[in-house]
Amino acid sequence: MAGTHHFSLTRLALATLCAVAVNTQAADAVYREAFPRVAIDPSRGVAGGGDADFGATLQYWQDDQALEKSKPWIGNPEHEWKLNWKFMDLDHTDDMHPGYLALEQGEKLFKFWAKREPAFRTCLGEGKTDFKGLAAGYPKYDPKLKKIMTVESRVEHCAKTALWEDFKQGSPANNQISLYFKSLSTNMPIKVDTSSTEIMDSYRRGEKLFYTKVGQYNFSCASCHTTTGLLGQRFRGQVPTSPFADAAHFPTYRVGLGDIESLQQRFMRCNLQARTKGLPPGDPAYTDLEVFYTVLSNDYPVSVPSAR
Amino acid sequence: MRSIFGKGLTVAPLLLAVALAGCAAEPGKPTQAAKAKPSDFSEWPCMSYTLACGKIPTRKPVTQALVGPLNGDPVRGQALANERSKGNCVACHLLKGAEQPGSKGPDLTAYGTWGRSDAEIYALVYDMRSRNPDTVMPPAGANQILTDQELRDVIAFLQSSK
Repeated sequence: MAGTHHFSLTRLALATLCAVAVNTQAADAVYREAFPRVAIDPSRGVAGGGDADFGATLQYWQDDQALEKSKPWIGNPEHEWKLNWKFMDLDHTDDMHPGYLALEQGEKLFKFWAKREPAFRTCLGEGKTDFKGLAAGYPKYDPKLKKIMTVESRVEHCAKTALWEDFKQGSPANNQISLYFKSLSTNMPIKVDTSSTEIMDSYRRGEKLFYTKVGQYNFSCASCHTTTGLLGQRFRGQVPTSPFADAAHFPTYRVGLGDIESLQQRFMRCNLQARTKGLPPGDPAYTDLEVFYTVLSNDYPVSVPSAR
Repeated sequence: MRSIFGKGLTVAPLLLAVALAGCAAEPGKPTQAAKAKPSDFSEWPCMSYTLACGKIPTRKPVTQALVGPLNGDPVRGQALANERSKGNCVACHLLKGAEQPGSKGPDLTAYGTWGRSDAEIYALVYDMRSRNPDTVMPPAGANQILTDQELRDVIAFLQSSK
């Protein structure tokens, strides 16, 4: 009797396992196409932007010297795209642009709340009260929260827990405080921790999203941002540029919008332009994409406030 | 570093961009609000891990046959090929009378002399993946970017490009 009982339990367990396996297979079986993949070595960071698959443009914008040499191309429709818009990183100058107004606003907001609730400061700094250089390590895995945190999700989290306020990602308050937090790492090289398993798992998911075709146009990010696709080609009035070092200048002042915009808001706008459902900033898919993008900016300095 | 951005240089691209942003509305073209029902595109595959659109399968490549004679209107076809909310072929191709043409796709200004049949062009514009699975060209027919009649009009325009 006992033997039979044992046997039936084993069968039940096997049957359950099979059912789970079939379900997983069904979920994975959703038909998707991928744009041809390029081998990216994440340990190279922004240096990968020198590869032909991404237009080999790094040489023209990698530092101030290179930019200075490439300056004559500004405004030239044939060559301007090779500068990857880095001449719009106006953090180098004393010249005013609206990005500075947002930064000022962010500093005011932060100081107001940090004075009222000192816990807001310690939460943002994870115990540290001096924020210098901290933003350069984002996105990062937070073992206490068991989550990948971006600067924006940290601001949202700390507003919730220390202030009982809703600074949702993509809101003006969140963007302004995030911009202020990032500005305290300006000119410091981005160092996303690629030795972290959680970060690399997220990177791989983000990389997969980068190549997966979605939307009515059946476009992937790579359709526009690799040379197999539209990178360096005229695309209506624009020329798509390299994804390398893009994460460095967000949140950025968008001239066409008249407002600052986070990287994930940019993803949302990009998706909509390619006739794909836009996801809310903070969505796990966008967080993975941000991790991928920021690893492609590793070793490149944080460059805020900027304008695009 | 200051040297790279003269005062004028810094402000000029910003001002230019502000001026260009004003043009984005495309005067004379129908606005979003005038259309029947604005879509959030959730009926198409998306990046989400949780939303229903994340589970919508991509439509598989098809080789679509042209049924009956073409009966397309080249004048309407030219407008459709230029229209951003329709064919938007000009985004990547050089076409006859194109404004701001793109450079990724082949130059189609003399496509009518290439000796392609209506049926062949119809199948390619309907879904280029039937010939090249790695194409960046959106499947205008398979993904309902253009209707059957609109495809016929665009093909009539292409055949008239000489």
